[in-house]
Amino acid sequence: MAFVSSGYNPDKPMENRITDIGPQNYQNFLPPVIKNNYGKWLYHEILEPGVLMHKAESGDEVYTIRVGTARLMSVGLIREILDIADAHCDGYVRWTTRNNVEFILDSKDKVEPLKKDLEGRKFPGGSNKFPIGGTGASVPNVVHTQGWVHCHTPATDASGPVKALMDEFYSEFQSMELPAPIRLAVACCLNMCGACHCSDIAVVGIHRKPPLIDHEVLDDICEIPLAVASCPTAAIRPSKVEVNGKEKKTVAIKEERCMFCGNCYTMCAALPLADAEGDGCAIMVGGKVSNRISNPKFSKVVAAYVPNEPPRWPTLVQTIRKIVDAYKQDAKKYERIGDWAERIGWERFFEKTGLEFTEHLIDDFRDPAYYSWRQTTNFKW
Amino acid sequence: MATVEFKGKTFEIDEDGFLQRFEDWSPEWVDYVKEQEGIKELTDEHQKVIEFLQDYYKKNGIAPMVRILSKVTGFKLKHIYELFPSGPGKGACKMAGLPKPTGCV
Ligand code: SF4
Ligand code: SF4
Repeated sequence: MAFVSSGYNPDKPMENRITDIGPQNYQNFLPPVIKNNYGKWLYHEILEPGVLMHKAESGDEVYTIRVGTARLMSVGLIREILDIADAHCDGYVRWTTRNNVEFILDSKDKVEPLKKDLEGRKFPGGSNKFPIGGTGASVPNVVHTQGWVHCHTPATDASGPVKALMDEFYSEFQSMELPAPIRLAVACCLNMCGACHCSDIAVVGIHRKPPLIDHEVLDDICEIPLAVASCPTAAIRPSKVEVNGKEKKTVAIKEERCMFCGNCYTMCAALPLADAEGDGCAIMVGGKVSNRISNPKFSKVVAAYVPNEPPRWPTLVQTIRKIVDAYKQDAKKYERIGDWAERIGWERFFEKTGLEFTEHLIDDFRDPAYYSWRQTTNFKW
Repeated sequence: MATVEFKGKTFEIDEDGFLQRFEDWSPEWVDYVKEQEGIKELTDEHQKVIEFLQDYYKKNGIAPMVRILSKVTGFKLKHIYELFPSGPGKGACKMAGLPKPTGCV
């Protein structure tokens, strides 16, 4: 398409430039029933999976229908969401912190028509566009990252595994029969954009091979001291090599000290390490952010490596299925996965889930590793 | 890798318009880049920032942190943006011939 100017003048880039105006005030977008009862809510109920009711002091009732989304979406799909909001909710709609979409209604008789409308909408491939659910003790949306869609440091994909996982846990999304909610998260590298370090179950992309070093260009495109300082295990040091008879500044990597985090590649494009066979996923469990009963917890690695198996990641999905089933069967009401694992003991967690315990799971990172070992004779055979 | 010709000089650049090699820098490079970085006329203040960045890079192998740049030049961040509308990284470092900033930028 030919160029169409927005009115921006490249010869005078600072002219008519608007800056530092921030986001719009959220108040501008509140449905009237929310605005009128702001800060005056009495109680709420979960009427059924995906449907909530909030009661205000004024007696007003607000009905919310939560639907799953793929997070990554086209303008076409956003328009469809807006059409639904226009038809049922006077044009108001909101997104949740887990990238679900919530349609808000000001009376009960609008619930069934909206539900019927949502349930009828499918993609040509057959997937539901707006599955209702994600409330209460369910598996709501998976917080996830860019993967092979956009990032340059991933060790796995995000959208692909998330779709495979949510297909597997679809009935858990649409029901509330777990002991407590299970928050799933996916991050495609150890940078862990998102919530992997504090989720009930998390998938994190990992490498298993050290970076390749492009000696020829390294000094030209990298700030060597940054690459050296980026390494958590001090595996990198500045060095010199001869390339085509010319001495070049570069780095050397002690491979036996490298644990393939990829930090150095983040800082220096001459140190790529992605590898089709080497890369895969680690599974972590037992994290939570709420203060409910127990304090917030980090998630812990329980499977050091499962292979990348695009497009459906069957080993990954089945391993997580085993964890969810064991938890569902064994945990007490209100127990998050981490609460459950800590009560029964991690040795029992591995027994009940059938996961293999390997030496990779034993912390060996600096002094704090010691505190993760067992300083007691309290254990179960 | 693209190359640009300007005032009889050839520069190898990447897709973001950063110089591929610091050694290839010359005053013509600044002349060539300034337009795309929204700079009409090069002042002594621009020159001071560019020279400091180059000195620091030659000495330390890295670009200075923003606070160091401000402290040594005496220019507050706001003023650096007035000089280089794209900011110290994309604007000043590019013109000084330093490698492209990395990390989660
Ligand atoms: S988790 Fe890693 S690979 Fe994924 S988006 Fe974040 S930085 Fe990129
Ligand atoms: S991948 Fe990580 S551990 Fe290995 S050299 Fe790079 S920064 Fe160090």
